[in-house]
Amino acid sequence: MCVGLSAKVVSIKDQTALIDAGGAQREISSGVLEDLEPGDYVMVHAGVAIAKITSSDEDEANDVMGDLL
Amino acid sequence: MNETMKKARDIITGYNGRPLRIMEVCGTHTHEIFRLGIRKLVPENVDIISGPGCPVCVTAVGFIDEAVWLALEKGCIICTFGDLIKVPGTEMSLAGARAKGAKVRPVYSPLDAVEIAKDNPDEQVVFLAVGFETTTPSACLAVKKALELRLDNFSILTANKTMPNAYNALVGSADAFIYPGHVNAITGNDACIRLCKEKGVSGVVAGFTASELITALAVAINLLQKGEPFFRNCYPRVVKDEGNPAAIALMNEVMEPCDSEWRGLGMIPMSGMKLREEYAEYDSRKKYDMPVITGRPNPACRCGDVLQGKCKPSDCKVFGKVCTPLHPVGACMVSDEGACSAYYQYSGLV
Repeated sequence: MCVGLSAKVVSIKDQTALIDAGGAQREISSGVLEDLEPGDYVMVHAGVAIAKITSSDEDEANDVMGDLL
Repeated sequence: MNETMKKARDIITGYNGRPLRIMEVCGTHTHEIFRLGIRKLVPENVDIISGPGCPVCVTAVGFIDEAVWLALEKGCIICTFGDLIKVPGTEMSLAGARAKGAKVRPVYSPLDAVEIAKDNPDEQVVFLAVGFETTTPSACLAVKKALELRLDNFSILTANKTMPNAYNALVGSADAFIYPGHVNAITGNDACIRLCKEKGVSGVVAGFTASELITALAVAINLLQKGEPFFRNCYPRVVKDEGNPAAIALMNEVMEPCDSEWRGLGMIPMSGMKLREEYAEYDSRKKYDMPVITGRPNPACRCGDVLQGKCKPSDCKVFGKVCTPLHPVGACMVSDEGACSAYYQYSGLV
C-alpha cells in the first residue's frame, strides 16, 4: 500500500492530474500540490501527488556525496 | 557505475570499525534493500534491522476485528488497501469474512472508495484508513470529497499513525535510522532534526532507488565513524525541509492527534490521527455506534519483536513453517512491505 510511484504529469484540471507512469495513465488528485504543470514529475501515493521530483537520482547522489563526504 | 556510486559502495564494503546497527524504518526500504542485493554489500559488522515502518504490520489486531464487525454485522462494503485483506484478526481476516459473504473490495486510493460509494447509493461503504503521514492526506481528501458530494453512505475507520512518537519509542534501538523518505516528503525534516539535537539520535532520509539507498547507507556509515549525532537529507529531490505545507494543513483541518495502539509497540500517546468532531458523520466508529473491540494476537507470532528490531524474522519459531505468505500468522508476513515477507522472499533461508 505504501509504494510510491514516480510519474509525469500529462494534464491538469480542477485539482485532478492525468499522470503517465511508464506508459500507464490514470487520474490522481493534485489537491495538495500547488503550481503543478504538465511535464512536471511527481511522487504519487494512494492516488495523490505528494511531492514534485526536482532532479534525477544520479544528480542527487552526486550532490549528496559531494556535499557530505 | 559512476564514480559517486563507486565511492559510496567502497565506503560500505570497506567499513571495518565497531559493530553498527542501522534501522530502516520504512517497509519499502526493507524490501528494496533485499531486492536490490544491497545486503550483500554490507559487511558483517553492519547489521541492518527493520523497524515499524510498514503500516499494515503495525496495525493492531483489534482494528481487523473492527473491520470484520462492520463487514459481517453491519453489512458494509469494506474498501481497503489490498494487503490488509489477509492480515489475521482474532477470529478471522477480512479474507475469511469474505468467505462468509462479506463485501470486501481492494482499492488503490481512498478516493476510489468514494467513487464506489457514489456508484452504490443503496450500500454503506467503509474505507479502512491505515497508514502514516504519507497516506493520511489521501484519506482526508476522500472525506472532503464525500462531503462535497453530500454522500451519506461513506465513512472511514481510522488507524492512521504518525511517526515522530514512534521514533521516540525506538530511541536506543539502533545507531542510526534510515528515515522513510515519503513520510518526510509530507512532514518535512523538523522531527528528525529535533531528535538529533535533543536526544542525539542519528539518521538519514533515504529515497528508494539503488543509487539513493546506497548513498544514504554510505553517508550513515561514514558519519557514524565520526562519533557525533547527525541528520542528513539524502533524498532532496523529493524531500524538502518544510515538507508539504498544503498536505499538513489538510491533515490538521480534517484530523487531530489521538493515542494509538501499535502492534508490537503497544499504546503510544498521541501517535495516531482520528477525524475531528466536525467530520464525525464520516467516522465509522461513531456512525455505527461500534462497541469497544479488543483484539488478541496469536501468541506464537513475534511480529512485535521484529517491528522493534529485537529479533530477526528467522528467529521466530513459526517463520517459514506455519507462517508463510500463503498462510500468514502475523502481519509482517502478509504485507509486501513486511520484514518477514522480505526475509521469506529474498534471504534464501526458506
